[in-house]
Amino acid sequence: MDIFANLAHGFAVALSPINLLMCLIGALVGTLVGVLPGIGTIATVAMLLPITFGLPPVGALIMLAGIYYGAQYGGSTTSILVNIPGEATSVVTAIDGHQMAKQGRAGPALAIAAIGSFFAGCVATILIAVLGAPLTKLALAFGPAEYFSLMVLGLIFAVVLAKGSVLKAIAMIVFGLLLSMVGSDIETGASRMAFNIPELADGLGFATVAMGVFGFAEIIRNLDAGAEMNRDLVQQKITGLMPTRKDLVDSTPPILRGTVLGSILGILPGGGAVIASFAAYTLEKKLAKDPKRFGRGAIEGVAAPESANNAAAQTSFIPLLTLGIPPNAVMALMVGAMTIHGIVPGPQVMQKQPDLVWGMIASMWIGNLMLIIINLPLVGIWVRLLRVPYRLMFPSIVIFCAIGIYSVNNAPVDVILAGVFGLVGYWLIKHDFEPAPLLLGMVLGPLMEENLRRALLISRGDWSVFLTRPLSAVLLAISFGLLLLTVLPALRAKRDEVFTESEN
Amino acid sequence: MAETMGHSATATRNTKVVIGFCLLAIAPQIFEFIWSIGTIFGWGAGRGPATVLISHATALVAGAPAALIGAAGGETKKASSDVLLALIYSYPILAVAIVTLFMTVRSAQDYVGGVILMAVALFALWASSDLQGMRGFSFGAGTAPRMFGGLLVALSAAIALTGLLSDGPSMAHYSWRGPLFVMVAILFFALAIRPLGLVVTAFVSFMIAATGSHETRWLEAAIVGACLTLGCAILFPYVLGLPMPMFPRFLIQ
Amino acid sequence: MTSLRALATGACAAALASLCAFVAPAKAQNYPTRSITMIVPFAAGGPTDVISRIVTAHMAQTLGQSIIIENVVGAGGTTATTRAARAANDGYTLITGHMGTHAASVPLYPKLAYHPEKDFEPIALLAGTPILILARKDFPPKDLKEFVAYVKANAEKVNAAHAGVGSVSHVSCELLHSILDVKPVGVPFNGTGPAMNALVAGQVDYMCDQIVNAVPQINAGTIKAYAIATPERNPSLPNVPTTTEAGLPAFQAQAWNAMFAPKGTSPAIIASLNAAAIKALDDETVKKRLLELGSVIPAPKDRTPEALATLVKNEIAKWTPVLKPAT
Repeated sequence: MDIFANLAHGFAVALSPINLLMCLIGALVGTLVGVLPGIGTIATVAMLLPITFGLPPVGALIMLAGIYYGAQYGGSTTSILVNIPGEATSVVTAIDGHQMAKQGRAGPALAIAAIGSFFAGCVATILIAVLGAPLTKLALAFGPAEYFSLMVLGLIFAVVLAKGSVLKAIAMIVFGLLLSMVGSDIETGASRMAFNIPELADGLGFATVAMGVFGFAEIIRNLDAGAEMNRDLVQQKITGLMPTRKDLVDSTPPILRGTVLGSILGILPGGGAVIASFAAYTLEKKLAKDPKRFGRGAIEGVAAPESANNAAAQTSFIPLLTLGIPPNAVMALMVGAMTIHGIVPGPQVMQKQPDLVWGMIASMWIGNLMLIIINLPLVGIWVRLLRVPYRLMFPSIVIFCAIGIYSVNNAPVDVILAGVFGLVGYWLIKHDFEPAPLLLGMVLGPLMEENLRRALLISRGDWSVFLTRPLSAVLLAISFGLLLLTVLPALRAKRDEVFTESEN
Repeated sequence: MAETMGHSATATRNTKVVIGFCLLAIAPQIFEFIWSIGTIFGWGAGRGPATVLISHATALVAGAPAALIGAAGGETKKASSDVLLALIYSYPILAVAIVTLFMTVRSAQDYVGGVILMAVALFALWASSDLQGMRGFSFGAGTAPRMFGGLLVALSAAIALTGLLSDGPSMAHYSWRGPLFVMVAILFFALAIRPLGLVVTAFVSFMIAATGSHETRWLEAAIVGACLTLGCAILFPYVLGLPMPMFPRFLIQ
Repeated sequence: MTSLRALATGACAAALASLCAFVAPAKAQNYPTRSITMIVPFAAGGPTDVISRIVTAHMAQTLGQSIIIENVVGAGGTTATTRAARAANDGYTLITGHMGTHAASVPLYPKLAYHPEKDFEPIALLAGTPILILARKDFPPKDLKEFVAYVKANAEKVNAAHAGVGSVSHVSCELLHSILDVKPVGVPFNGTGPAMNALVAGQVDYMCDQIVNAVPQINAGTIKAYAIATPERNPSLPNVPTTTEAGLPAFQAQAWNAMFAPKGTSPAIIASLNAAAIKALDDETVKKRLLELGSVIPAPKDRTPEALATLVKNEIAKWTPVLKPAT
């Protein structure tokens, strides 16, 4: 078949020594970038772009792609170890992953994240090779109305993932939505709630807020008097490094489901990949026999989202490779890299640049293999890092976070804002608000508002488009069903609580 | 169990909370006043402290009630931003503070959390009050922020209400040492990274942050800080190629 | 103990003193003595970034010092331009401005913290990217004349996509609309990628965009191009007529990119930078790579600082009436 000939050609390209080396460098840098809090893939790819000018185009793109999906592997590391999600896609991993680490199970959590990512990466790569062209239709079928409905569904996911009060979770999402509205209005360009601070003109960065409410807040909380005891307990409790047989059995179905969800959502340009990881988490929580375990160190809560985000990272290459349209900022940078080499990607890039396209696809599989070989032995080192006394660990995390945030835009104000959000996060912890729904609201907010407004502009203010377009109607129906499923048991539980007056 | 004791404890706690809310109600005004002191020394742009003080005081005491009465009388005069701040933000919070005086708070954690969140929402409503609203089928810049701001007011009111109606945890303990030194370290980093470069900034920030814990041993911290600085100096500019100043600017020239 | 403290105090004082001293302007004689920072007000990989990188790589050879590109993103490029306007005018901080940051920003942002003419010293015009009128492949009009008639007749129905307020696609479409005297609904997207996606998918009707991203889509037939808004046809799209040929000569727009220094930079430094830039534009490889991008390289008479100053002046005059009512 054609595909095998193409793939064989791809492997021939990807296995050349220079490209293998590029792939390895990409995977290593990606892991490093993922592990370092604050430094995002966009910033790194942008910084490394000039270096690729001197390289052959295929090698350059293999390296940049390696950084992109390598960061998905590394991103889970800080989420699990120190509760700092480096990317929007690893926010969900932090919820159960960090709880596992607190129970001394950082090793299994990290290992299952790597294994899940590897499996998902392999499946998604095959999917790109076999079904890339037909799947492109899905990307084109999603217009503003469909995106809006998808974002509504995403926000419902965010409610489901809360482990405490539903009311507080919804309040946090709305708070996140409000924060996301700071900055320029997309339609009129008017400055919203920016108070004439130039650094706020483009809104609050995800890294800034995430580092604040997760990273800095966690540090400040750990410095509270009385917190030392908990920390020491964590350090002594570390058990096995590798997942047990039971862990593997428990994680297999979530990995499979996460891969499928991630692969589908990843194809959608603009926001699909972000939703993938918490859609997977929500699905697992809904399917689980005992949903109460989620948020308290369930291994499924690490396996599913990590598989989903890596699958999505791979399939998000589909629009780029088949249409020549970059679906997100990192891909846009890759288009830039191609442009500099005189290759402008378009719908014919598969026919005109077979070396590039198939070489990249083959390299993704090789890259995933490299990543699991790099990451599994690293688990031991990461876990040992937890034994570093906290009095030395926390100033180091502060410095790494500060440098990371500064590097995103070279803007000192961003660092101060992250500090302010650290105080906000400390306050949230003290009043038992969860930061994860806030961050998800912040990520999804602009996508939701922009697409709503786009859809209404195109339909000339006719709200019925959301129901008359079949895909959009289906998504809204799912959201509504899920909301009922979530709110009804919560109401019932509330009633029970009133009757029993338990716990507190 | 200890009914009477518990009651008197809530009473003293309540006055504290009410004073806190009153301060919260005029926090933006106080912040602008402190900020405006800087203009005397020529830092930053904005109104001078005297103007700030007078305009906010008149807005709080006279302007807002006048606007309120005017609005009731059907007048549609455009209120100034200070008056709007008093109307949209300060008055509701003050009202909540007064209501709190007569309430038994059963879960301070939820109640105070809800009220502060409400303050944030009201502030957002004020901040987006100057934005354009719906224009035909076009949403305009202000519709979405106002919509979500209003929603958050309602949600946070509901949270505060649960704090009044059902028992829950009381206020958690806040400590000051950790937050203070970590914040100072972050602030120092932000202000120093451009003029002083990565090496000096990273080390000094590390030491400031380390002060935040009473477990810190100084020699150990200094050694680790130095190693970390060295590591960062190699990692970020060279391995990752981030454009960052390494040394103080005055040393380079 | 005391002496140590005294030493520390002294060191601090010295540090402060030298901090204050670094503002002193550098001597122009042996310029440049260290690496130069070139601020690019857009993300790496975009047209402005690519053009700056190609040109500065060659300029660095001429000047004998490296030129570091710093991408500062935000508010349609005005964040970066504000930073450049406030930078030391010692010739070590430069900026690649473009049509948006140094002309269209004046009417678009009433609170702009700089003025393109008053706060900058022009160095040289680098290259421009032509703008095309593009439409979804099944949009009824067949050529530009039909397009003009169709848009005028259906101004209430058609949707024009653009890549965000202040983007090249936004301001150039506003120019087109003001020439046609229509106000169709503009659908904003976050960047040219998503806008192009919507056009390919047929969710919007037409847009104006720079040539770089559009060529492969036009060649593959996923979208169609009505005209190119330059006086001459472009070698990468030989079949696309110019607006003059197609009957709309008034629509002329080009996303020009040019190099600027903060106001007060010494004329000697400007002259040596201008010479290096001209040398780069004359280099065969630089020329070839720029042409591959579909760029238009300025004629020798347009490469002087004075010509750039005139261009900025004319462009501000051109965009102000077009964009003023839009905000």
